[in-house]
Amino acid sequence: MDAGLLVQMLIGALLGLSVYLPLYCGQLSLATPGFFAIGGTVAALLSTRVPAFAGTGATSPLPALLLEMALAGLLAGLLALAIGGTVLRLRGIYLAIATIALVEILRVFNLNLPFTGGALGIFGIPQPFDSTTGYAGFSLALLAVVCWLCARLEQLRLGRAMAAIRDDELAAASVGIDTARVKLTAFVLSALLAGLTGALAAHFLNSWNAKLGSFDASITTLAFVVFGGSRTWLGPVIGGLALTALPELLRPVGDLRLIVFGLVILLGPVLFPQGLITPQLLQRLGHGCSVVGQGFSGAGRRLRGRLSGVRRP
Amino acid sequence: MSAPPLLAVEGLSCRFGGLLALNNVSLAVQEGEIFGLIGPNGAGKTTLFNAISALTTPSSGQVLWRGQPIRHPRPDRLSRLGLARTFQNLRLFDSLSVRDNVLVGLHRFAASPLAAGLLGTAGVRRRQRQLEQRALELLALVGLEDGADLAAASLPYGERRRLELARALATEPRLLLLDEPAAGMNPAEKNDLCELIRAIRDRFDLTVMIIEHHVPLMMRLCDRLAVLNFGERIALGTPEVVRHDPKVIEAYLGSPR
Repeated sequence: MDAGLLVQMLIGALLGLSVYLPLYCGQLSLATPGFFAIGGTVAALLSTRVPAFAGTGATSPLPALLLEMALAGLLAGLLALAIGGTVLRLRGIYLAIATIALVEILRVFNLNLPFTGGALGIFGIPQPFDSTTGYAGFSLALLAVVCWLCARLEQLRLGRAMAAIRDDELAAASVGIDTARVKLTAFVLSALLAGLTGALAAHFLNSWNAKLGSFDASITTLAFVVFGGSRTWLGPVIGGLALTALPELLRPVGDLRLIVFGLVILLGPVLFPQGLITPQLLQRLGHGCSVVGQGFSGAGRRLRGRLSGVRRP
Repeated sequence: MSAPPLLAVEGLSCRFGGLLALNNVSLAVQEGEIFGLIGPNGAGKTTLFNAISALTTPSSGQVLWRGQPIRHPRPDRLSRLGLARTFQNLRLFDSLSVRDNVLVGLHRFAASPLAAGLLGTAGVRRRQRQLEQRALELLALVGLEDGADLAAASLPYGERRRLELARALATEPRLLLLDEPAAGMNPAEKNDLCELIRAIRDRFDLTVMIIEHHVPLMMRLCDRLAVLNFGERIALGTPEVVRHDPKVIEAYLGSPR
């Protein structure tokens, strides 16, 4: 598998996690591509227009990338903070529609602002890495850190409160959870993650345009989570990796590939309504591993017993 | 001068379109008492609970907490003041484990700096163990300590009711609102519940407000009772007084011909 596809898959997994965070507390937000686009645009503008970020010619320094990602995440997070209080009053499908509107507004801005390059976008974004392998390593490290943070979050008070809101918002409020604040936190974290992923993607893609943050992308990123599962962080990661790779892996079947891809997206939820990865599945797997582990340690004990028996005169 | 009542409801009305669910209801609950709310179906008992716990905005009137009106009432703020409730139609966090349901109830006491929480510092882990210990104690109190790892959705009905009670107690309330806690229970279970509510009141130094249809149980359990009928408070007093009130007899049995 070539490194370029791997980077795309890792970016897909990061975006899947960005959709997952609000969904973990029951909020169907499709705003991820909007914040992704903000991140990409910020990185594209900074690294092509601001000499301090641009580096020398076609390459840019790694610290500049990190700073861009931080700024992109911050800007996306601040926008989420500003609009979240209002938007998150909406529930279910209405929240989804409002966030689609946000994505569209940002796309139209991106298309028409005088400095974002119109429909063609921004070209020649300098490269912080010599090869796609560098991107793959960096993206993998980023995904690992984000996965670890999400896994920790699920164990924490905030994660429990999010799950409680997903199950029953009213009951969560009546045991003292400030539901508006928890939902806003999840929304801001989601935006932050999408923003910094966008900054990384802009460098990787070498160019940035309005099409990268569209309604299509909203649906694709949602499919990552629906396909992979929204009850644990591993679901959107698997969904993002698999559904980004699939269209490329299906290239040999030619024009049929989009039909096959569509069928997979359709059959996934039919066969696995909770997504591929569910907490119950992980529990079963964990149990299986511990049984195998016990088997091994039992064999080890027996072996040690025999060895000591041999040594005994 | 005596202390103000823990909770007072003054001239509370709730109108839903053409239906006047509560009509100018006033009552006061004193610290430490078990206060019963009875009345025929549709009398407005649950609406009164909802208005007290800020799930329903009253059309007029106000709720006072220790003599002070509650400004901008919201369920989570009331919980922090010391109000907890259970629901008539059980609202558990079904996908969470039994233990986690109670841990969510301990939300207010689980705060830790985000960075320390993410890193899982020794202090955070110790605090987490304390909270889990506390959750197990509360589960033991309602007899659910053995099922702590089960999913809440998998519990049978009676145990779900007790879990909801444990979750409410986890918030360390001063006032506990119980909405038909004995619904669907047989007489023996109802007696056990009666004992449990008394024990909880004594142990946690609580004030309890309870809705229940089983009148004999309420007569035994409650210090005072209010009777609602068609949204109006028709009687208030000790079980003895309420039992002989002609308006109550009429509401329950109809007027003598």
